[in-house]
This record gives sequence, C-alpha cells and structure tokens, in this order.
Amino acid sequence: MNLDTLLSYEWGHMAPEFIILAVAALLSLLDLFLPKSYNRRSLAWIALVGILVAVVSLIGLLDSKSVSILHDTFRLDSFGKAFKLILLIGAACVILLAESYEPKEGLKEYRGEFYYLFLTGLLGAMVMTSSGDLITLFVGLELLSISSYILAGMRKKNPGSNEAAMKYVINGGISTAITLFGMSYLYGLSGTTNLKEMSGAMSAQAANGQFLYLYGLAFFMVLIGLSFKLASAPFHMWAPDVYQGSPTPVTAFLSVVSKTAGFVILLRIILTLFLTMPGDDTQKLSFLETHSIYISCLAGISIIAGNVIALRQRNIKRMFAYSSIAHAGYILVAISALGYFTFDAVWFYLLAYLLMNLGAFAVIQLITDSSHSEDIADFAGLYRRSPLLAAGFAVFILSLAGIPGTAGFIGKLNIFMNALMTDPGHFVLASIMIAGTVISYFYYFGIMTQMFFRPAASTEKIKVPAGIGAVVVLALAGTILFGVAPNTALDFLHNNFGSFNDFLK
Amino acid sequence: MSLSGEMIAFILLSLVAIIGGILLINLTRVVHMVIALVFTFISVAGLYVLLSAEFLAAVQILIYSGAITIIMLFGIMLTRHNDTSEKTAGVWRKLLLIAGIAGFGLASYAGIYNLDIPVQETKLHEDNTRQIGMALYSDHMIPFELTSVLLLAALIGAIILAKKDDEKKEGEES
Repeated sequence: MNLDTLLSYEWGHMAPEFIILAVAALLSLLDLFLPKSYNRRSLAWIALVGILVAVVSLIGLLDSKSVSILHDTFRLDSFGKAFKLILLIGAACVILLAESYEPKEGLKEYRGEFYYLFLTGLLGAMVMTSSGDLITLFVGLELLSISSYILAGMRKKNPGSNEAAMKYVINGGISTAITLFGMSYLYGLSGTTNLKEMSGAMSAQAANGQFLYLYGLAFFMVLIGLSFKLASAPFHMWAPDVYQGSPTPVTAFLSVVSKTAGFVILLRIILTLFLTMPGDDTQKLSFLETHSIYISCLAGISIIAGNVIALRQRNIKRMFAYSSIAHAGYILVAISALGYFTFDAVWFYLLAYLLMNLGAFAVIQLITDSSHSEDIADFAGLYRRSPLLAAGFAVFILSLAGIPGTAGFIGKLNIFMNALMTDPGHFVLASIMIAGTVISYFYYFGIMTQMFFRPAASTEKIKVPAGIGAVVVLALAGTILFGVAPNTALDFLHNNFGSFNDFLK
Repeated sequence: MSLSGEMIAFILLSLVAIIGGILLINLTRVVHMVIALVFTFISVAGLYVLLSAEFLAAVQILIYSGAITIIMLFGIMLTRHNDTSEKTAGVWRKLLLIAGIAGFGLASYAGIYNLDIPVQETKLHEDNTRQIGMALYSDHMIPFELTSVLLLAALIGAIILAKKDDEKKEGEES
C-alpha cells in the first residue's frame, strides 16, 4: 500500500473523531504549559467548544452515504452516525457538569486531566460506534474503559473514590478478559477480524454442529463480557460501589456515555455476526432467534434486581446506580425481542435516558456538593429552597419512572410495543417490565415526597451555577419535547438514517 | 495423535505454563509469585515459537518476562507491603469456583475434542516480522494509532494516581 491509496480514502468522514482527538491533545498541552497558578476550570469551555464543533461536523456528514476506510476498520454508516450523536450530546452535558463540579476536598491539581480524560473516553466510545472490525472495536472499548478507571479514582483523598477505582479496574479487567477470549474464538474459527467477512464465514461453517457449538461458546463469552460494561444483572456488582464513590460528573458519564457505548458494541457484534447465522441443523431459525432467551434472562433479572434493591437505598447515587441497572434491563428487552423497530426503540430510549438521567445527575451534583452528603434526606424541602430546581428534578424523576407526557414514557412504550409485536410475542418480558416499573414508583416517588412534603434542614437558597443550569434547562426541554411530541425525534431518525439499512452492508 | 517432537514440546511447555499459573495463585510470598509468572510467560513464548511466530515470541520475552516482571519486582521492593497474602475464601466458595471452572473446561473440551479445522496453505510464517509490520502500518493503521492514544491516557492516568501531592509542601515553603 502506497501513500496514494492511503490518501484516496475519505478521511473527512472521520472529522468528528479527529476534532475530539485534537482537542484532547490541545488540552493536555495547555495543561502542561500553563502556569501553575492558572485556574484550569476555563479549559472546560475549550473541551465544550470542541465537542460542539464535532457535533456540527457530524451533522454535516449526515447526508453522506456509508463510507468504509481501510477494510472497515472505520466505517461511518447510519448506525454509527445516530449513536455518535447521542454520545456527543451526552459528553457535552457531562463536560458542563464537570465544569461546575466542586467536591469537598477540592480538585485543584487534577482539573485539567479531568477534562481531557473525558475526551479520550468519548473518543473510544465514538470509535466503537463506527467500526466493522473486531480489533478497532476492542481498542475503542479499552480506551473508554481505561479513561473511566482513572476518572473514577480522581478524588485521590477520598477513600470511596479509591475503592471505586480499584473495584472498577478489577471487574473491568475480568470482563475484558472474558470478552477477548470470546473474540479469540470468533477470530480463530473464522480466520478474519472483519465483521462482514466473519459473518459470511460463520454462515458457511454453521452447518457443522461442532462449529456451531464453538460459536455458541464465543457468543456467551462476548455477551457476558459486555454485560459487565452494561452493568446488567447478574454482572452488576461493581456498579453501585463505583457509582457511589466516583466524582458525580464521572458517575453521570458512566451511566450515560459508557452505557450507550456498551449497547452500541453489543449491537454491532451480536447483530452483525449472529443475526444471519443459522441457529441449528435445520437452518430454519437464525442463531439469535434460538438463543435470544439468554438475553431475555439478563433483561428480566436486571429489571427485577435493579428495581428491588433500589428500594432499600438511602444514598442517592447508589439508588441511581440500581435504577440504571434496571434501565439497562429495559433496553435489553428491546434487543432480545429483536423486532423490526429494535434500533429505533433502543436509540430513542437511550436518547430519553440520556436527557432524564443527566438532568437528574445535574441536580444531584448540586445538592450533594452543597450539603457534603449523599443521603436522600438532603433533598428534604428542596421545593422551599428552590422551587424551579425541585420542579425540574420532579420532571426527570417522573420521566425515569415512565409517567405519560415525558420522554421516558414514550421510550418505554416503544420497547413495550416492540416486545409484543414480534412473533411469538415476549409476554413474560413485557409483564416483568410493567412489574419493574411499578416497583420503581416506590423509590422514585420517595424522593418526590422528600422534596415537596418534608421540612428543609436549612432554608438557605440554592445558587445554581451556569453549567448545571444549562444542563437542567436542556434536559428539561428535551424530556418534555420528546414526551409530548416524540415524532420530532423519530422523524429525525427516519429522515436521516432510514431504517439502518446499511448496517450489515 | 502421534507423539512427535513438536507434540512433546507442546505438552511440556503447556504444562509449565499451567503450573506457573496455578502456583501464582497458590504461593503466599509475592516474590515467588512473580517467579511463577515468569515461567508462564516464557513457556507461552515457547508456544509462539512452535507456531512459527518468532517475532511474537521475542516480544513476549522482552515485554512480559523482561519489562513487566522487573517493574513488578521494583514495585514490590519500593513499597511497604505485607509479604504474605490475606485470608482465603471459605470452603463452599472454593468448591463452587472449582465446579464453575471444571464446567467451563468440560464445555470447551467438548467443543474442541473432535474439531476438524481444514488446514490451509499459508505464508504467515515467512518473514513474519515484515508481515506484521506491513499489516500494522497499512490495513490496521486506525486501531494502531488509537492504541497510541490509549497508551497516552494510561500513562497520564498512572501519573495522576501515583503522583505525590505536593500542595502542602509548597504551602510550607512559601
């Protein structure tokens, strides 16, 4: 390969990634050379501008056809574009939260690193959305993971943060090893790392029962390894401790950006490889259809475990960790049902989840920072101290609980219809989903009672920093808009991305 | 299954690799554990040679047996450490673990016992260093460059987490 062939690729389609990479490099250099007394907080605005420019360049690429660079090690198809948009919006909000983050013991020395590690993690997630090659997918996954391990341990003087980072590294390492073991089976049997070629080789080999069995083993290992990333039960043990101990913006990052990236890589690998592969000797059903029961089990256990254990939590961040486990379960329902609208349902739910969860974390960060504790009782009387903030938080909680009129309701409805419309319908999963939602009302409304009906410990008014205010307003607008008029988002999805036809091509 | 020289070498190397791994878990002194780890690394390098991947074998010895073990030893020497490991888990947990490992082992063995992968003529073993270089700098350039970002992030992270806070010292000086 000479330089001309290399330059003949359409590198312009990697512009969002290049922009994020350049901004991360710029920030690390600035952090290195700026005088020590300089307040690194302003670096957040550079990071934010970088992300916004990346969003603009991505929107500029929306019309282009799917592009493949260097044998699919990078491919920009409608799937990649749609989910990259979610990741970028989420990361922009997280950077705003990080700008206003002020922990008790201070974050003076590491504020610069804080911002550009978010960006490298985002870069890893973005690469995962648009790659058709196992090696690139894995490197992207590791880039995201390693950046998050460090971010979780950023509060060095806080024992909880140290514990979180340690637990996250060990659990993440185990999950990576399992995923990689599964991937090595896939590569060893098919002889290629390119997902498209691999899918062809697998369909050809699947007539041999022995190969089918081994591909099944690989399927389980990849699924289990990635379930750690999604924090779906029973592989969720790390999530509560890590969410509780990490700095709040990092918790928001893990629960939104990292989770979205986990679903993206799961969809990429599982759907590309196992959707077309015949599942048994008769070759009537595809592998995914015969084995979707295992994904259904993961979904069911996640919904039940997440919601039930959340009932007992007194720590708000821990409660949201369990609630995020339950939400991962809801999205897994959509994947296991695998109807015609799976992509739409997953995309819309992730968008709604991003808005409501980031909005909620913005308020949580403000309250926990000002009261130096994470107990739910700190929310008592929030309505008297700051009525607008309480109203916003109430909307986010209603949306998380899935009350009509909010984006969370539409997202859940999509998944629910998706589960019932398939043939045979997933009635058990749908009823577990309803039961889980009802259980979740108890703890979500517990926070509401604290906010509106309990007397406040202090009557001091809460001052809302600009960054947090912006996130709350943006998330509030999105939650209500997509709740009242969900077609705005779905039309955007259909007009720009079709029905993800180029996913497998 | 004929007992060729390659087969004997494979059996010996894999035995050493597995025993090294088991000893790593069961030994109590940290330095002994590192030695056990070195045995595993070196025998894995031997397995690479058997597969005619000499470059990979050299890298395995240089990076794993050399650099990583030495860094571990430095880490052990330079830090205060409790030389022996802590209490171990209960009997039931151990039994469950063994059952799980045995179950997985049986499941994989059932899969590969009679496996017949058609052998293809390849040229992968000729000039494999050159071939790895060509693949790395042409087809797999994007993951290769991403790995450099990954290493940078890991490096920065290690510095942040390990750096001694000098805030207080500066305060005293000024």
